Amino acid sequence: MDELILNLKKEIIEVLNLEDVKPEDIIDDAPLFGEGLGLDSIDALELIVLMEKNYGIKLKDPAQGKEVFRSIRVMADYIQTNRTK
Amino acid sequence: MELNISKYTYINQLFASVNGKKLVVTGAPEKGKFLTALYRKLNVEYPKFFKMDTLSKLGFLASELIFENGKQRFIPREDGVIICFNRSSSLETDILFQSSLEPGNFFPSPSVFVYTLPNIVAGEIAIRNKFLGETSFYISEKFNPEQIFSAVDIAFQNNKTNFVLASWVESFELSCEVFMLLVEKKTGKDAIPFSIKCITELFNNEHLYG
Repeated sequence: MDELILNLKKEIIEVLNLEDVKPEDIIDDAPLFGEGLGLDSIDALELIVLMEKNYGIKLKDPAQGKEVFRSIRVMADYIQTNRTK
Repeated sequence: MELNISKYTYINQLFASVNGKKLVVTGAPEKGKFLTALYRKLNVEYPKFFKMDTLSKLGFLASELIFENGKQRFIPREDGVIICFNRSSSLETDILFQSSLEPGNFFPSPSVFVYTLPNIVAGEIAIRNKFLGETSFYISEKFNPEQIFSAVDIAFQNNKTNFVLASWVESFELSCEVFMLLVEKKTGKDAIPFSIKCITELFNNEHLYG
């Protein structure tokens, strides 16, 4: 799980162009949206694409993202359970 | 009505200048790296910069150079107009987005898609500065000082406009450039008269001889 969390942080930094953010800056249980990283709705869509492209997970209901993207740890848990690649 | 160019700036993949004076920017002569180096030099905290396409980065950086240490901004104001021109529209970003639509590798990026309109650059400048006035974007075959003069002149034909930010902002393949003018009603003793001749000369000084 720790390796998945670290990889996920690196992927998020890359795909969202978080130029000045390092993996260790992202706290595992901190909210991804609303504070901290300052992500917006376009970033949420980009995370949906990331889940599909890298892990073969299709979020059919965008509203589901609200729960899945609550924190890095929640996201990693979801990926571990549902990944197809 | 007498109009003046109160400040102007030019940026391409090799150098940046303000009012004809070159800035010292340490960065590789490659457009992405150079624009990032210029952003770092400006010491601005605006992480959204890194999400922008090159066209928006150019407009953002030029407007930062125009407004640093100057005009009051970051409070909503309606007396400013943003007018942009270029040749290639958002073609560079359009091509990038198109490449994400290939069968078998169909992962269109939402963050790329949002820049597949050229006038987004005007919106980025407006959002950053909280300018609520008009914005417009014109596609032109080449840099056309007569067209710029005319558009700016028309923008002042009301009692509301106090300044116009006019720019030629272009990015395609390896090269990019932005030439931005701040045009105002106010007359300063050192102000440059706003005329087709001056627009042409200032642009050529940077574009051809910079």
